[in-house]
Amino acid sequence: MRIFLLHVMAILWKDIRYELRSRQTWLGMGMFVLLVLVIFNFTFDLRVDNVSAVAPGVLWIAFIFASLLGLGRTLAAEREQHSMDRLLLCPVDRKAIYLAKLLGNLLFIGVVEIVALPIYALLFNVPLPAALLLIVLLGTLGIATIGTLFSVMAAATHARELLLPILVFPLIVPVVISVVRATQQLMAPTVNEPPWIGLLIAFDVIFLSISMLTFQYVVEE
Amino acid sequence: MALTKQATDMISPAEEHLNSVDRGHPARLPIAALILGGLSCIGMLASIWLIFFYTPIDALQGVTQRIFYFHVPTAWTGMLGFVVMTVASIVYLIKPDERLDWIARASGEVGAVFLTFLLITGSLWGKPIWGAWWVWDPKLTAALILWFMFIGYLMLRSYMGRTPESARVGAVWSIVGVIDVPIIYFSVLWWRGQHPGPQITSDGGLPPAAVLTLMVSLATFTLLYCFLMVLVYQLQRLQTQAQRLHAIVE
Amino acid sequence: MQGSIYLVIAYAIVWLGLFAYLAFLSMRIRGVQTELAAVEELVRESQEKKENNYGN
Repeated sequence: MRIFLLHVMAILWKDIRYELRSRQTWLGMGMFVLLVLVIFNFTFDLRVDNVSAVAPGVLWIAFIFASLLGLGRTLAAEREQHSMDRLLLCPVDRKAIYLAKLLGNLLFIGVVEIVALPIYALLFNVPLPAALLLIVLLGTLGIATIGTLFSVMAAATHARELLLPILVFPLIVPVVISVVRATQQLMAPTVNEPPWIGLLIAFDVIFLSISMLTFQYVVEE
Repeated sequence: MALTKQATDMISPAEEHLNSVDRGHPARLPIAALILGGLSCIGMLASIWLIFFYTPIDALQGVTQRIFYFHVPTAWTGMLGFVVMTVASIVYLIKPDERLDWIARASGEVGAVFLTFLLITGSLWGKPIWGAWWVWDPKLTAALILWFMFIGYLMLRSYMGRTPESARVGAVWSIVGVIDVPIIYFSVLWWRGQHPGPQITSDGGLPPAAVLTLMVSLATFTLLYCFLMVLVYQLQRLQTQAQRLHAIVE
Repeated sequence: MQGSIYLVIAYAIVWLGLFAYLAFLSMRIRGVQTELAAVEELVRESQEKKENNYGN
């Protein structure tokens, strides 16, 4: 168990060091999220009375696209380093590789989201309750588990980057529904709502389990 | 002399393949395909007769309701196709046999075809009944995502070619999908629960004549599915053979 | 009745679609069979060439 965690940390630390070198990517992703939020102002009529109906959707579209950008970015980094091929040669538990990649993606996307949230609150004039952070974390986890599974698959098999959104979007629909409804609940609570946060946790657990169990089949030669 | 004897004793892999390849009468279809094709034709004729001349006209929806007898079987075969694809893929992961992979790919293709018909018939049924070409009700939405699953599978397999890695990746995709699609169905159900939309299935019980028609139609489509499966399986087998021979020659 | 137009179109699409798909399938199968025959010829030729080389 200890060795497992050591492996995870080692791989994660390697990835973090690599990402810290390329500061332009962080800036690029941050700007992207900001621009998406701004463009929505022109595409939707966001007056005060229907803000709670539209704003959560806007936030999550921005986050989903940012996540896919982030996943695509780590995919490209993998390819540049050819580290996946070398990593697979080592006697490392495949689950450790997956977990390390997942945590790396979560960190990467999470940092961008944390920066974007205050800007979102500012632009749309909405409050930022602490519970929103939990929802963002759970939602990003859901997207990242599926996304990491398929982005590593794409890296290991040298597949096209364009394939990633095509594969990931249909699968994350339940997470998207839950996360947007949970955010809406936070802004404008209604009665008789299913427990979206509980469902989110359930989805995360299910997706994480499947991804960890099937990951080895996707990378083995 | 000894050297030449030794040389001619060696059989190259190409020669070995030519000697052992199962020719399977390439000019003719396998017997199973002919039988299934014939049965499907009979079944289709029987279904058409039942649908248009035997079943009573629905009181609420009128003549348009008859689309139901083609719409429901396409849903059934689509789901059957997905299940077959997933089971074949999972067994492939345990015991890699390329025939299982051929079954999986064939089921992916045939299932995609039937699901396309499902979406089209669903849309054409919805327009006169509810006045909308599309509604985001749980069944149709889940069907749409299932369609994306099939298309994603076909794109993935086509892009990655005929390798064991490709088969494994396809298997993982099917496994994730088979768990995800029911989850999607329930998510949309709970999401839409607040604003109940139009229901797709005919409410209440069906008269016995309608039940019979539906059963016959389901059986016909299942036969059709099996027929198409045999054909596409043949296609996959031949394509794999051709690819293997290409590799030998090059 | 207006609704029957949709009925007709729906059944027509399914029928035409099925036949179109069958035609598409048979086209592909025939294509692969031709290709297979051609490649088998190539393999046989390269076999004969090799045997001639060993014989000499």
